[in-house]
Amino acid sequence: MDAGATRRRVVDARDKSCPGPITDLALAYRRSKIGDVIELWATDPGVRADVRAWAAKTGNELVSLEDKSGAIVSVLRILRR
Amino acid sequence: MAEKFSVIMFSGTADKFIPLGVLTQAAAAMEMEVSVFVTGFALGAFAKKHMEPPFPAEFAAMAPALAKGLKAAKVPSWEEMLRQAKDLGAKVYACSMMSEVMGLKKSDFSDLVDDVVGAATFLEKAENGQTIFI
Repeated sequence: MDAGATRRRVVDARDKSCPGPITDLALAYRRSKIGDVIELWATDPGVRADVRAWAAKTGNELVSLEDKSGAIVSVLRILRR
Repeated sequence: MAEKFSVIMFSGTADKFIPLGVLTQAAAAMEMEVSVFVTGFALGAFAKKHMEPPFPAEFAAMAPALAKGLKAAKVPSWEEMLRQAKDLGAKVYACSMMSEVMGLKKSDFSDLVDDVVGAATFLEKAENGQTIFI
């Protein structure tokens, strides 16, 4: 795999209610390649548990999950397509 | 192979269409194979010419507050959510028996409906997965 080809994609799902953020994550995932990183910004508190569930279900890695500027920011690394 | 999530959508009232939209969209986002079997009182909402599903009488008093809350939380309509699920791969099947009972042909259904099938076909698609009845 060409590491230089991997990308970081920022997905803004702030103000979207569940399951909007997870859906935006899935849409970005469908366009990603192995090694890519997706940074998901959301405000729905359900996203904290949902990104863990999504990562476990799809076999991808939740790298970090933190509160930033009034939003919940999840960083996911795509390991499986 | 992807895990399966299937919904038997039977009820015809607005309150029941919300979980249809939310759960199919969420399951499709979880990369599950989603199938919806539309039958009973739900079928009419999938026809090209249809009325929006009504709120059940026992919740009628709550309906205005709920509608306001849904709007404030920017919750999309059940149809938008199901459409999003379909964009991610969900399939919607109308029950052939109930379609016949209601005089609906395949061409009478909106583009939400992928096919008109019998119960056995749906059960075969849903086999060995999670199936819920709404």
